[in-house]
Amino acid sequence: MSIIQVEGLKYKYPDTDQLALDDISFEVKQGEFIGLIGRNTAGKSTLCFALSGLVPHFFNGGYGGKVFVNGLEVRQHEVGDIAAHVGLVFENPFSQMTASKYTVFEEIAFGLENMGVERNEMITRMDESLDLLDITSIKDKHPFDLSGGQMQRVAIASVIAMKPKILILDEPTSQLDPQGSEEVFKVVENLTKEGITIIMAEHKIDKLAEYADKVALIDHGKLIDFDTPAKVFSRDDLPDYGITAPTATRIGKALGIKDSKTDLFPVTIKAISREIGDKL
Amino acid sequence: MSTMTLYVDKKSFIHHVAPLTKLLYVMVSIAITYIIPKLEFVLFVTLTSLLILAIGKVFRKILPILALSILLIISIIIVQGFFHPENQTVLYSIGFITFYKEGLTFAALLTLRVLNMIMSFGILILTTKHDELVEDLIKKGMSPKIGYVLLSVLQLIPQMRATMGKITDAQRSRGMETEGNLLVRVKAFFPLIVPVVLNSLHNTRERAIALEVRGFNTKMKKTFLNLSKEYQYTKTIQSILWAILIVTIAWRILS
Repeated sequence: MSIIQVEGLKYKYPDTDQLALDDISFEVKQGEFIGLIGRNTAGKSTLCFALSGLVPHFFNGGYGGKVFVNGLEVRQHEVGDIAAHVGLVFENPFSQMTASKYTVFEEIAFGLENMGVERNEMITRMDESLDLLDITSIKDKHPFDLSGGQMQRVAIASVIAMKPKILILDEPTSQLDPQGSEEVFKVVENLTKEGITIIMAEHKIDKLAEYADKVALIDHGKLIDFDTPAKVFSRDDLPDYGITAPTATRIGKALGIKDSKTDLFPVTIKAISREIGDKL
Repeated sequence: MSTMTLYVDKKSFIHHVAPLTKLLYVMVSIAITYIIPKLEFVLFVTLTSLLILAIGKVFRKILPILALSILLIISIIIVQGFFHPENQTVLYSIGFITFYKEGLTFAALLTLRVLNMIMSFGILILTTKHDELVEDLIKKGMSPKIGYVLLSVLQLIPQMRATMGKITDAQRSRGMETEGNLLVRVKAFFPLIVPVVLNSLHNTRERAIALEVRGFNTKMKKTFLNLSKEYQYTKTIQSILWAILIVTIAWRILS
């Protein structure tokens, strides 16, 4: 059964003429990891906002079509109600800190306090989140005294503690170093094992190719393709959408090596290594 | 810790008085100096606030704040000393400047009220953790939005200061002069303040989204991670404060 259903979604921001999202439809099954790709201003962030209810409730503007998340029609419910089902983490870790709490532990509690979670349950969930994100050692630190990578992990932990069925991440690694980015992807992969559905807008194509189950290619607000990484990244017209194919795919195309399992060009270093190894 | 705080972490009896009791003290001690406008009484209340500060081991911390009020106090003395409408009794003259007893008495009353106001707020702010105070107020029914504003301002101002430092460095690296005489500084002001304000507005929008998706605007009843601390003598002290307020009001009505 689909946990996310988007039917003919159209949206334009207030005081603009162009559609930021133009007739988008797709479905996502529970536990899937979906990568959103496209050039800047393609509509990735707007789609993330639409899935979390910020569009249309926070941004207003013109809205058409239907979005269902975990059975709730987004338009009919407040953002606060949707927050119990959908978590959102975005690019800037600094502005995701509430600036009203004095320790990481309290920061993570913020959403749970708002949702009225009982104190003992709150502490159990917070400990689980700290453990999952491996940030127990910094739980007594002030949130603004952390590095960018640590802050981003706190932001994810804060959302995870609210036990959403769906986690949306809008370019969560853009301000992190390679190590920090790798950590975020590993954490997210672990979350899919817990049954959490992931939607991640990201420019790090190689990483998405490695971790995502499906990739949605967006351009000018339209959904151009929605398929497995192998199929999407095999497209010859990717540069037209401002996308460079993963390193493994480019090597595969240059050497004429295809993945024997899919008969498409390989998308991960592991896959191309296997193919090259087999040929040698 | 990257936050502004005036709280002084010391061990004293005053630190162990409940935040809301101290807030009640602030309100009562200010109110009674207006209910009974007698110089001796206001002096007594002011000295009481001073004594409480001393017991709270924060007297020295209030001195810079009192120093800031000197300009206000001097202006009160000059204006009232010269121009109070009931000025009659000449106290002394220096050349063409004449001070009157009525004016100076009224100026002394106003000065003591100002000092008491600063010191009573000092008792609250210097001996109370502000997050605890705000949380207690929210539990008593204050809007969480107001509570959020009170707490976030204290944390965001140092962050804005840090941003200002980064932007100053960036503008300097591009050849802008930021130090020197007044004209140079005025010219540097707009290229510095505009990016700071725009940056802050952008962060504010993102922070509003972050709060929204963490259920800040949900209508559910909030719970709290931090348990309310148990304070001793809360009822006794609050009863005494209410009694003082009632007695002063009664005295004012009857006299």
